[in-house]
Amino acid sequence: MSAIHDAVSASFPRPIIGDAAWRLGRTVGLPLGFAILSVAAWELLCRVAKISPELLPPPSAVWEVLVGNPAILIEQAIPTTIELFASFAIATAVGVLLAIAITFSAVVREALYPNIVVFQVIPKIALAPLFIVWLGVGGRSIITVGVFIAFFPIVVSTATGLVSAKPDVLQLCRSLTASEWQMFRLARFPYAMPYLFAGMKVGVTMAMIGVVVGEFITAQAGLGYIIMFASSAGETATVLAAIVVLCGLGLVLYGLVALGELLVARWYGGELPTSGVI
Amino acid sequence: MTVELPAGVRALAAPIRMMPNGAAVAANLRQLRPVILPIATAAAVLGLWQVGCGLFHVPSVILPVPSEIAVELWRILPLLAQNAVPTTLDSLASFGLATALGVALAIAVTYSPLIRDTFYPNLVAFQLVPKVALAPLFVVWLGITSESRIAFSTFSCFFPVVISAVVGFAGTDKSTLRLCRSLTASDWQSFMLVRLPFALPAIFSGMKIAITMAVIGVIIGEFISAKAGLGYYILYASSRMDTPAIFAALFVLCMIGMALFGAVALAERQVRNHFGRR
Repeated sequence: MSAIHDAVSASFPRPIIGDAAWRLGRTVGLPLGFAILSVAAWELLCRVAKISPELLPPPSAVWEVLVGNPAILIEQAIPTTIELFASFAIATAVGVLLAIAITFSAVVREALYPNIVVFQVIPKIALAPLFIVWLGVGGRSIITVGVFIAFFPIVVSTATGLVSAKPDVLQLCRSLTASEWQMFRLARFPYAMPYLFAGMKVGVTMAMIGVVVGEFITAQAGLGYIIMFASSAGETATVLAAIVVLCGLGLVLYGLVALGELLVARWYGGELPTSGVI
Repeated sequence: MTVELPAGVRALAAPIRMMPNGAAVAANLRQLRPVILPIATAAAVLGLWQVGCGLFHVPSVILPVPSEIAVELWRILPLLAQNAVPTTLDSLASFGLATALGVALAIAVTYSPLIRDTFYPNLVAFQLVPKVALAPLFVVWLGITSESRIAFSTFSCFFPVVISAVVGFAGTDKSTLRLCRSLTASDWQSFMLVRLPFALPAIFSGMKIAITMAVIGVIIGEFISAKAGLGYYILYASSRMDTPAIFAALFVLCMIGMALFGAVALAERQVRNHFGRR
């Protein structure tokens, strides 16, 4: 492809758009164009085939709900936002603390880590109804479901990161008589950062799943509740509008995590060992 | 989310050669520590649970003791087995569909730059969308049938397979591919002999994520629509405040989840043996 591209650009010199700009336009324009085209095709399909709006509303109808009736969506988004951020924050704090405990002591690691890995595999979402029995219907049990689901990837990934510091670096620390805590702060923790953030990114998605499923089965309020309610009432446009708002929330939280990663990388001098975990 | 076998399991699998005299027993015990310690921890937690609940007279509705759960499990085992069948079959069907579709799309993305530039960024963006929120829509579109749950579950576990397969295919050793070309291998030959074996570890790590997600998807589908299945049974039992039955169903579900994950891990080992090394 690039050979053809080179041949084309050699025979037709493009004075206005340079090669780099052309490539950028392709990498941004093609996916964006495809997305816009899909939405347009969806709108056209709904209008031409006269699909009932209960089955598949056109994008314009979803837009109307978003713009025309934002008060109700915002009202329902508030509890979901609080639950999502709370469960993600608690899951991160608990996950990192447990990961530190696991890596600090060999006995704790050997005792707990295999059990945690087994827990990774089982479908934890099935425990959601139990939390309702324990904590009742409401925000508290939803946050607990979110924490419970989001916390495992964070522990596993952070623990993997904390033990992945280079042996050379640790040996150097030891020969410079660094204390165990100094080694942790100065060597292990920076090495674990990419893993921690990879785990947190998975955690964002998981907290989202936990909160939405929690709201499906318990809530009296929240975007999950309105999705269930509207879908049973056949108001599919409202369902899709609520999903759009939910996507926005997820993107904001994911963006915050990505921003945090950028800031931490800068703090450590931009030399985070990058790796493709998870 | 990859799971490595702990050293102890490998030690267990290795045949014990010498007669156990004192030193050998001690060495074996040390080797087996990574196996014994987590099992002992799990056993200790169960014991504490049993004793603690008895001591503090925790009502069975809140937290039944393990022995009571075991008795309940034995009593309702036929019912649970009956409900486990649709859950297992739906999970397997959606996992199979997601793997086939995911690998096929990854191949298309790998071989056509146009498809890659058009689709891939959208796929990555889609990973962030809380797909769980779409579950009620699948009920609107496909009804409360098993097909609707399979479709939803396929949709939710298909993305990790595509992404990791694309990463795997892209990571093929370039010089090996060039060697193939200079030996006049056909595209098909270089795919079967080089690209696929190189991509297998990545594909399998995607499949391992997908099998857990498939079970989660089926359970969520059963929460909101089913008339049978373990997810339905758990919700039904929780509405009757029958906590021992919830735990019994969870136990069966965990066994299914682990068995399915184990099957994928076993398949990975077989396939890797077939392709030799790594």
